[in-house]
This record gives sequence, structure tokens and C-alpha cells, in this order.
Amino acid sequence: MASDEFETEALRYLDALYRTALRMTRSEADAEDLVQETYIRAFRFRDQFTLGTNMKAWLFRILTNTFINTYRRKVAQPEVTDLEGVDESSLYRRMADERAASSSPDPEAELLSRVVDSEVTDALEELPEKFRTAVLLDVEGFSYKEIAEMLGIPIGTVMSRLHRGRKFLQKRLYDLARERGIAAVRSPEKG
Amino acid sequence: MDCNDCVVRLYAFLDLELDEKELAAVRAHLSGCDDCGDQLGFERRFLDRLRDCCTSDIAPTQLRERVILKIRGAGPPIT
Repeated sequence: MASDEFETEALRYLDALYRTALRMTRSEADAEDLVQETYIRAFRFRDQFTLGTNMKAWLFRILTNTFINTYRRKVAQPEVTDLEGVDESSLYRRMADERAASSSPDPEAELLSRVVDSEVTDALEELPEKFRTAVLLDVEGFSYKEIAEMLGIPIGTVMSRLHRGRKFLQKRLYDLARERGIAAVRSPEKG
Repeated sequence: MDCNDCVVRLYAFLDLELDEKELAAVRAHLSGCDDCGDQLGFERRFLDRLRDCCTSDIAPTQLRERVILKIRGAGPPIT
């Protein structure tokens, strides 16, 4: 691929790479550095890109590897790496238990409509890194197999990280909504 | 397939990751189970919302300019 062709094709994914880097690093400055480094590496190793394969996946693989190798080391304190203690049950099930006591006809829909976008992304940024990375790659439309290859983990592990990450997010949003009293409100226990 | 079997496959269903056999079994269960159907609807709205919130940011203009400068100065590829 000629270098101007490569440049045009690679730059199509700048926004996607940037927003993912922003949630990975949780810093605008680090995200910009990470994206620049990703493009520099991609361009340097552009002969390794196989024509006709998925350019977005190839760039995201470089982004993910660069993030893991560079930025993970910068984290002074090791992050909590699992989600022990996070209730595995679905938010949906929990809310279903409370639905009878709710004045809203559709408390689940209400919850999702009452949290603002920044609260959703804040909750995402609170996720431990390995769960966050899986969720971010899924949001960008990659398959379980592609995510597994990017992260060098089995597909079953991808599924488990996505499942637990999503449940964690739901719990955060649910707790947030409850603190404000906008989710289904349980009536006081009687007798 | 019972409700538990269905619920543990909802994400794989929504992520379009079920094989044909499992897909058929989940669909058959959903066609006759409102509870699982409602949960599917909730999970779908949740994932749509998450995607919408995460995919609206765009890269700063100066980043695009800096990246272009960097890659044009990158030299020949390393093979």
C-alpha cells in the first residue's frame, strides 16, 4: 500500500483510537501521546499490515499493546485486578424484585434515561483496567475472537471480563440512581 | 432451554456470538418467555446506551495535525 493511501486509511480511525485511548488512560494528555505513538508504530511497521485485512483491528492491536506495555507501567499503585465482591446478579433481576413497589411503569428504562452520559463514562473509567479494556474494545465493535487476539487471552476470558465489567457498570449506575431516589424505590419493610 | 440457560447466553446473543444451534435454542426460548424477553430488552438498551456514550468523542484537531506531521516524517517502513 502506498504511504499516502495508508495514511488516509489509517487516519479514518483517529476518532475511534482517541476516544478509546481517553478511556484507557483516563487523561487527555496521555491519550494524545498514546494515539501518536500508535500511529508512529503503525507507520513504521506498515509493511506488516496485510492488504485486505481489517485496518481498524490492526491499529487497535497496536494501541492496546502500546497501552499495556507503556502506560500500565506508569500506574504507581497496582489496580484492583478483579471484581470480587461485585454482585454478579443482573441489575434487571434486582430491579424486577423491586418493580412491584415502584411507581414507575418501567423502572429499568427510567434508570437508563435518568443517568447522564458523563456518569456512564465515569463509571466505565472506574472499572479495573482489564475489564475496562475488554468493554472498550467491545464498544468499538470487535468480536470476542478479535479482542482475545488483541489481549492475548482466551475467548472464554473475554466473555467473562465483558460479563463482569457490564454487571459492574450496571451496579454503579443503579447505586447512583438509587442515591438520588430515581430508581425503583423499595417501600419500607413492613412488620 | 430453561430461563437460566437463556439468561447466561443473552450477552453472547446480543453480541452476535452464538453458534447456529445455540442461537436457535435461545430464539425458541425467547419466543415463549416474556421474562427473558424483557431482560433481553433491558440488556440491549444498556449496551446501546453504553456504546452511544463511548463513541461520541472526537479527536482534537491539533492531534490530527500532529499525527500527520509525525507519520510523514516517519521515514521508510521497517520490514
